[in-house]
Parts: sequence; structure tokens; C-alpha cells
Amino acid sequence: MPAALRGLVPVLIAIAVLAVLQVLVGSSPFFVYLASIVGVNVVLAVSLNIVNGMTGQFSIGHAGFMAVGAYTAGKLSLLIKDLAISGLPGVVSDQVQFVGTLLAGGIAAAVCGFVVGLPSLRLRGDYLAIVTLGFGEIIRVIVQNLDLFGRALGLSGVPQTSSLFAVWFCVFLVTLVARRIVGSTHGRSLWAIREDEVAAEAMGVNTTGYKVRAFVISSFFAGVAGGLFAHFVPIINPGSFTFVKSIEVVVMVVAGGLGSTTGAIVAAVFLTLLPEALRTLFLQVGGLDTGASLAQKVDQIRMPVYGILLVILMLVRPQGLFGTREIWDLLPRWLPGTRRGLR
Amino acid sequence: MSGEVLLQTVRAGIEFGGLRALHGFDLEIRRGDLKGLIGPNGAGKTTAFNLLTGVYVPTHGEIRVCGERVNGRQPHQINHLGVARTFQNIRLFRALTALDNVRVACLSDERPVFTRARIDELRRRSSGKSPVAEAMDALNNYVDWWRALLLTPGFQKEEAELTRRAEELLEVMGLSHRRDERARNLPYGEQRRLEIARALGTRPKVLLLDEPAAGMNTREKGDLMVLIRQLRDQFSLGLLVIEHDMKLVMGICEEITVLDHGVTIARGAPERVRQDPKVIEAYLGDSYLASHGLPVPPHAPTSETPVT
Amino acid sequence: MISDFAQHLINGVAAGTIYALVALGYTMVYGVLKLINFAHGDVMMVGTFLGYGVAQRLGPERQSTLWGVLLVFLAAMLGCAVLGFLIERFAYRPLRDKPRLTALITAIGISFTLSYGFQLDFGPLPGAAPRAFPEIIIPAEWLVIGDRAVVIWNWQVISLAIAIALMLMLQGLVYRTRFGRAMRAVSFDHRTAALMGIPVDRIIALTFMLGSALAAGAGILYAIKDTAIQPLMGLYVGLKAFVAAVIGGIGNVPGAVVGGLLLGLVEEFVVGYSSSSWRDAVAFGFLILVLLVRPGGLFGRVAAEKV
Repeated sequence: MPAALRGLVPVLIAIAVLAVLQVLVGSSPFFVYLASIVGVNVVLAVSLNIVNGMTGQFSIGHAGFMAVGAYTAGKLSLLIKDLAISGLPGVVSDQVQFVGTLLAGGIAAAVCGFVVGLPSLRLRGDYLAIVTLGFGEIIRVIVQNLDLFGRALGLSGVPQTSSLFAVWFCVFLVTLVARRIVGSTHGRSLWAIREDEVAAEAMGVNTTGYKVRAFVISSFFAGVAGGLFAHFVPIINPGSFTFVKSIEVVVMVVAGGLGSTTGAIVAAVFLTLLPEALRTLFLQVGGLDTGASLAQKVDQIRMPVYGILLVILMLVRPQGLFGTREIWDLLPRWLPGTRRGLR
Repeated sequence: MSGEVLLQTVRAGIEFGGLRALHGFDLEIRRGDLKGLIGPNGAGKTTAFNLLTGVYVPTHGEIRVCGERVNGRQPHQINHLGVARTFQNIRLFRALTALDNVRVACLSDERPVFTRARIDELRRRSSGKSPVAEAMDALNNYVDWWRALLLTPGFQKEEAELTRRAEELLEVMGLSHRRDERARNLPYGEQRRLEIARALGTRPKVLLLDEPAAGMNTREKGDLMVLIRQLRDQFSLGLLVIEHDMKLVMGICEEITVLDHGVTIARGAPERVRQDPKVIEAYLGDSYLASHGLPVPPHAPTSETPVT
Repeated sequence: MISDFAQHLINGVAAGTIYALVALGYTMVYGVLKLINFAHGDVMMVGTFLGYGVAQRLGPERQSTLWGVLLVFLAAMLGCAVLGFLIERFAYRPLRDKPRLTALITAIGISFTLSYGFQLDFGPLPGAAPRAFPEIIIPAEWLVIGDRAVVIWNWQVISLAIAIALMLMLQGLVYRTRFGRAMRAVSFDHRTAALMGIPVDRIIALTFMLGSALAAGAGILYAIKDTAIQPLMGLYVGLKAFVAAVIGGIGNVPGAVVGGLLLGLVEEFVVGYSSSSWRDAVAFGFLILVLLVRPGGLFGRVAAEKV
């Protein structure tokens, strides 16, 4: 196959597969909602893995970037809701607007990532944790105080133009980006920074530049995840983007294995589905009264369980589920894009 | 043999709080040189290396690479100008394979938009601070990342080239059979060689080796001596070696600088340095000299002597 | 105008001393372990609830006597010392030689376990609803200036006195005792300290216990000031105290006190002259400003890594 097209083949395959999926299950709102929630968390986890896993930094403010993307995309969508692109059928015009707002959200988050990352990545590693945490909190407070963003009540009425296809295409994109980076000289440089920053710098790697770039890419996708989120939940408010959300994503990345994209995906899917499944189970089985209170208990108990999970994980298996391995390491050598060497 | 001056320091030094770790350090490395840097522990040898590679910023004096003043530049920038090093305690990328360790260091000269030569020239003309050069560099990087994402043919060619270069270096250092082995699984001697291969990946003009023979047995040290000379010739390098093993240093170095307490106390050909009483005193102390009936030299100014 | 300013000043100092006490715990632990103990604030919360429990048991009569108050403090501080010991022993010590990130993640895990665990409505656990801390110090105006323009309450004075006493005791401990010397030695280089015969494990455990006890004391003072307590309070106060420690230069003991006081004052003044909804953002905004200008904090030194 001509070398020039190798890059695009997976994209085409993904589009085809997702289109089929969309047609098959796209009409069940519950399933679409569930798949969307899972998808958004996967995007968050995979993108955070680029910074925390591959580059070995410690960012715990991912929800802040998600918030920037969600509010930017959501507000934009609300503003252009009644406009339409002439010449295109309504649905297509809506989708084009949707994609536009997603990009805007992603870029806004990326800019924030640059502004936050550039000064703090120059400092010692621990400081990034504090600064990213602070950033998340500052975003929350800003949004809570501005009428523009609906204060504590948030934004409602954002056109629900997201779809299974949209969310999971983004999942595909972020995974592709993660994988392509890893298989390149840039990915190797990021891993080198993770292994030994001083040595990497001595070998000509612009460590600050690379760290910031990884951070910006990661923030971009967090913003996109936020934008998607805004378009399939009826209301977005500051409560969806707290420090707790950031930690949830950190748990996913750590449990999956810091550095493993596969691990991040698996952990995100599992840790999103499990509480949802339990909640649904309790509601079904227990009926409205006891079921509902049990379901509520699931929500409550989720957080301390995450906490204990982290502690046990660090004591018993700090490398997480997958360590730094990927599922595509098992693929036969002749498949395009399979790389040797970097693990 | 002597060539152009690649690395030069002019009375360079660094102070930490009140402690003068290095003071008045003069050095010149030309192409083809094989020089040694010795001294008792804590004398400031690794500090000198850190100064030369930009890890520390000199508090006084100048450091020049190919005539260009590099005080205050980032280590990766100094590396791009042609200075590479190994570390006293091996600092390999342990989880990466041997091949990848070297590949990280191999940076391509092909830049997608603006050539490296042009950017370097801009930087040189404005002594390191050129916003235009930084912008050009940033654009290069931006395009570079997109090429990686899209798997463009240009990118694929570049990757193949990097891999080839890295494999060649592994071959030179006799590590081809360890290509896909993780660095942390390599035996100690091979790890040291891998560090050198990695440093060579950056296509340096000057190579600084920090105790390359530490922990090796006699046979390995002998091989290393031959190897170092080979590398100097094969890659047209200037070399500066820190070592504690006197036999190795005396064996391959043409000129030796001796540090003690951050100050240069002797410099010259191995024979002369070996017999210099100041050097003997630094390593073995006054009492040794006295008990062997050798004259105790007047104390040279050390970093602790107050300077008026 | 002046009276407003003075009132803010007093409130700021009151809040600041509480931040300082908690910040001291952060800074001491970071000093010896190079670990940001994210769980520290939540240990404070546990102390507050312990004090709550004891005060409840004593009943409204006995809880406000001198002995009652002392008992509340002691119970909280001792309880937290034990908690601190357990956390260090079982969660941090096994990870001491692992990369720092591992311990950091564990710290976050413990923090979450404590704070959200205490939110569960389950058995002895208090549950999410805020409670009113018993009035162990019956409020009385201590000093009134002008026509109630500035009011200083008795509990503010007592609070300040206790905080200062604790800080002075710590100061004495760190700089004038053998234990303090050992602690400082361990914070410089724990391997060398071990070679010098210092029982590093014991020193670290004691440091943890001390920091936790201080946090518990701060927690009680906080509860006296703010009355309402709930399981998530540790997260917020802890985070801010941590910010204070970083502002002062993490690892630097006097820095923690200065950082705490500064943060208390800045927060109070910003909120006083704008609106309270910005309160949470102030701490981090202030932190980022300080870090931009002085990356090591006000008194910290950015230690050059040995290459």
C-alpha cells in the first residue's frame, strides 16, 4: 500500500465501523447515553495518560480543562443555536456547528493548558500537581461567579447534538494520537523524560518544550471531552467538574497502568460501567424505595472505594493493570503501524 | 594532533551559597584531543562537567562552544551545539530498550519548514536570544508533530533513518545483540557502553566521559581504552575524561588537569603530573610527603582561602 | 473604614494561625519524607470529629470547664497522633524507596478514603450532614472598640493563645531538642542520618505523629471559630494550608507560619472587600503569583539536584 495512505487507513476503518454501530444501536437513548458517558471518560483517561503516564508528570486538574471545553462549547452552541448554515440540510448544519464548538472548546482548553503548563512545568514535579489542582478550582470558582456561565445553576438548553458516532470517533482519535505519538521520536522523548529528565535534557531533548506540548495536547482532548459532555447532558454546572472528577480520571489512569493507553481505556470503561451497572441493578431489583437508596449508596461509596483502591494498588501493584504494555504489542509484526522497541 | 577549538572555558567557576565548588577553571578542547580530568573526591570534576553541559550556570567566567558564548543556555541547546556527556552514576532510560535509548538521542537534522542551520545562524548572531529563531523552531516542532500523527512519508523516512543511525552506533559499541533488550537488564559494563553509544547519537563534537571505567574489571578497562581512542578517531571528537583509575588516565590522555577543592593545581602531560608534589599531596596528604622525605609544597590558593 | 480594616485584620490573623498550624504539619512531613501528605487535612477533620465526640460525651456542663476543654484537645490530638502513626506505618513506609509519585497517589487515596468515608451514613461514621460543634468556649466579647465597630471575642483570643503556644512548643522542639536535631538531619539526607545512628524510622513516625497532633489542635480551633463541621472540611482547609506551606517554602518551618498568616490575611481582605464567593480561588491565585516570582516559595531554596 502506498506509504502516503498508511496514515489514513485506520481512520477510514473507524468511520465505517462507527457508522454501522450508530445505525444499529443509535436509537436507544439509554444505551447512547451510557456509551457517551463511557466514551467521554475514556477520552479523559487516554488524554491524561499522555501527561501522567508517558511523560511521567503529575497533573490532577484534568476536570478543569474539561470544564473549559464544556462551557466554551456549550455557551457557543447556545449562542448560535438559532443560526443555520444556508445551503445545508438542517441536520448537517447542526452537526457542522457542533463540530465547530467542539474544536473551539478543545482549543480554549489547549490555550489554558499552555498558560498553566508553561510556568509550572519549569518547576519541580510536585508543583505541577498543586498548580493543576489550583487551576481546576479557580475555573470552578470563576464559572460559579459569572452570569455568563449560569453561576451555580449552570447552562441548560444546549442543543443535544452529540451522538454515539461523535463520542466514539473522538475516542478513536485520541487513541490514535496517543499511539502515533508513542511510535514516534516524540513519544520516545516523552518516555525519556519520564525515565530520567536530566539525562533526556543532556541528550538534546528540550524537556520543558516537550512537557508543555504533551500538556497542551492532553488539555485539548480534555476540552473536547467536555464539549461532547455538554452536548448530551441536559444541564452542565460546576458540580460536574470538581476535584473529585479529576481524581476519578487519575484513578483510571493509575489503575490501568501509568503509560498504557490500553490500560487507560480498559480502566475507564470498567470504572464507569461498574457503578452505573450497580446502580441500575439496585434500581431494578430493589424497586423504587430500597433500590433507590441502595443506588444512592453506590454513589456515596464510590469515592472511599476509589481511595482505598488507590492505596491498595500502590502497595500491591503500583504498575496498575497493564503496566506500560499495550494490546497492540501483541499484534503480528507485519501489520502496518506496529512498532518494535518502545514499550 | 590538534584541530579547531571546540570547547573552551575562561576562568569559569560556580559558587553555591558560600561554597566555591569550582574556581578559575580554564580549559581548551580541540578536535582530536584526549584530555583527562582528575582529582580527589569532591574536587569539583563533575561540577565542571555540569558547568560545561549547562546543568549549572556559571557564576563567573565564560564557557564557549566553537567560539560561541553559551553561559546560561539550556543543556539541550548546548547539546545541539555539539557537547555530549555520560554520567558518573549511569543514567540510562532504564525502561527503554537499548535501541530506543540511542534513538532518543538521535535527533534529525531535517526540519520540516526551516532548516536547523538557518535557525542556528540566527541564534548565533543574537547570542542565543532570538525570538524569531524560537518562533521558527516552534513552527518546526508543530509541523513535526503533525507529520508524526499523519504518518507522512517524510516522517516514515525520517524514522527509518533514525533507526539506522541508532543501529549503527549500537554496532560500533558492540551492542547490536542487545538491541531490543531493556536497558535495566543489561550487565553493568554494557550499560556503560550504551551510555556512550547514546551520547554519540547526538552527533557531538566534544564528548565528556564521567568515570566511564568505574566498576569495570581490568580486561574491560583495557578494551575501553582502545575503544575510546577508536571513537576519537572514528568520529573526529575532542574528548575529556574524568577517571579515578590512574592507569587508564595515564594510558590514554595526552594532557591531564588536576583539580582539588575546586581549583586547578596542576596541568600537563601524564608523566609530569604524576610526579608533581602538589598532586601527590592532594591525593595522599602532607604526612605521606613528609614520611617519604619529599618536599611539601607551599599551599596554593584553594577555594577556601579568602580572596581579597 | 479603619474599624473594618481592623476587624478584617483580626479575623485574618485568627484564620491565619489555624492555617499555620496545619501548614506546619505539611511542611514537617515534607521535610523528612519529601512527600506532600495530601491526607493531612483529612487527619485534621478526624481530629475535629474526635473532639466533637468527646465534647458530646462530656455534656454541656463539663465540656466548657477548663478540664473539659483540655480533655477535648488532648483526645483529639492523641487520637490523631495514633492515626498519623498508622498511616505512616502502613501506607507510606512500605513505599519509602519507591518513586515519589507512588506515595503521592497513596496520599490522595487516603485523603479520599477518610473524607468521603466519613461522609457515609453508616455505623460510627458521621455522615455528610454538617453538625454544630459544641460550644466548649462560651462566647463572650473580650474587647469592644468604639460602638461595636471592632469586636474581639474571647474565643479568638484563647484560640490565638493556644495556637501560639503550640507553635512555640514546636519551635522549641525542633530547634532545641535532640529529637528536633534528628528530625532536621533526616530532612537533609535520610541515608546519611541513618549512617550516623539516627533511628530514621522512629524519627519519621514521631514527626508524623507530631504533625497530626498539631493538625488536630488546629481542627478544634477551627471548629470553635466556624462552628459547623462536616467530613469534607479537611479537604478545603487542608488544601489551603498546603498552599500556605508552599508559599512559605515547603520544608521550611518558619515559612509555614508566615505562609499561613499571609494566606489568612490575604483571603480575609480579598473576601472582605469583594465577595465571599471568590474565597476558594484566592488561595490558589495567591499561590500561583508567589510561585511565578519565587519558585521555591518565600523562604525556600530550589535545591539543585545532584547530577
